[in-house]
Amino acid sequence: MEKWRLIIDSPKNAFMNMAIDEAILSEGIPTLRIYKWKPSAISIGYFQNIEEEVNLNECKKQNVDVVRRITGGGAVYHDEKGEITYSVVCPQNSVPENILESYKIICNSICHGLKFLGIEAIHSGINDIVVNGKKISGSAQTRKYGRILQHGTILIKTDIRKMFSLLKVAKEKISDKEIKRVEDRVTSLEKEIGKVDENEVIKSFIKGFEEKMKIKFYEGGLNDKEISIANILREKYESEEWNFKR
Amino acid sequence: MKVKNGILKGELKVRGGKLIKCMIEVEEDAIKKIKFSGDFFMHPEEKIEELEKRLRKIELNEEKIKEIFDEFFTEVEVIGAGKEDFLKLVMKCLNKQ
Repeated sequence: MEKWRLIIDSPKNAFMNMAIDEAILSEGIPTLRIYKWKPSAISIGYFQNIEEEVNLNECKKQNVDVVRRITGGGAVYHDEKGEITYSVVCPQNSVPENILESYKIICNSICHGLKFLGIEAIHSGINDIVVNGKKISGSAQTRKYGRILQHGTILIKTDIRKMFSLLKVAKEKISDKEIKRVEDRVTSLEKEIGKVDENEVIKSFIKGFEEKMKIKFYEGGLNDKEISIANILREKYESEEWNFKR
Repeated sequence: MKVKNGILKGELKVRGGKLIKCMIEVEEDAIKKIKFSGDFFMHPEEKIEELEKRLRKIELNEEKIKEIFDEFFTEVEVIGAGKEDFLKLVMKCLNKQ
């Protein structure tokens, strides 16, 4: 049985969160990290154009940070109170070599964890998890140094109106009808099971990984080297050069 | 024949996949600069910049562009879009003018 480190992290800002994920990947200790974003933030995929995706003025007004990820995929709004984020770092040979298959095993671990909360979820498409056809989680993966990093979010509650005000959505889409349409396509833990205890969610999550991926966790934190790497990487994630690079 | 110049933009939603976009700066019938964006996945990610470099100064000729794509897409793994989608997007963009 593989032994992985479990980090239940305190909320951090967007730049530090992304720096920590990359620092863990660069050092390679197999880790499941569970974290939140404070203040709320938007992360955009590696290949996205920040100005095309994000309403930067509105983000500034609402004190929402914006950061580019090292992983591809789409823009995600990380609400301070509305979601839980996970990141997994492990050797590439701990998951299938095929990228889609590796998404599947990690996403299936999350689905398995959600079962303990009474939620029947399934992995759908490339990187989504859905409940009755409605998206509750999205993930993104990169592979470097013979390891993988996959991070993703689980929605606790949604505020589509706020999300639309921060992301660049065609004006005609910001109608009550369209908001309703998006609300109908997305779900959250609260929509499914009512008020949730975050500790219960985290516990279920961990159990999902333990049972599905046959992992034994030990609780820990970042080591000194990871902290110093993260502090250097934070500067990259804060820089305009990185965030506006595409 | 009219010489092509200017900035062209286009996007393509891959069926069952992701959205890919491109911006091409054209100068005297050649690609001066090209940038791809979107919510797709490419492994390794940084390779996209190499593709954009390789396409610089390439004539606006589908065969020539395809040759570069044929080689490049053997070096990367793309999820949510394929080589043909990228080529289709570039040609859709170039044919706009």
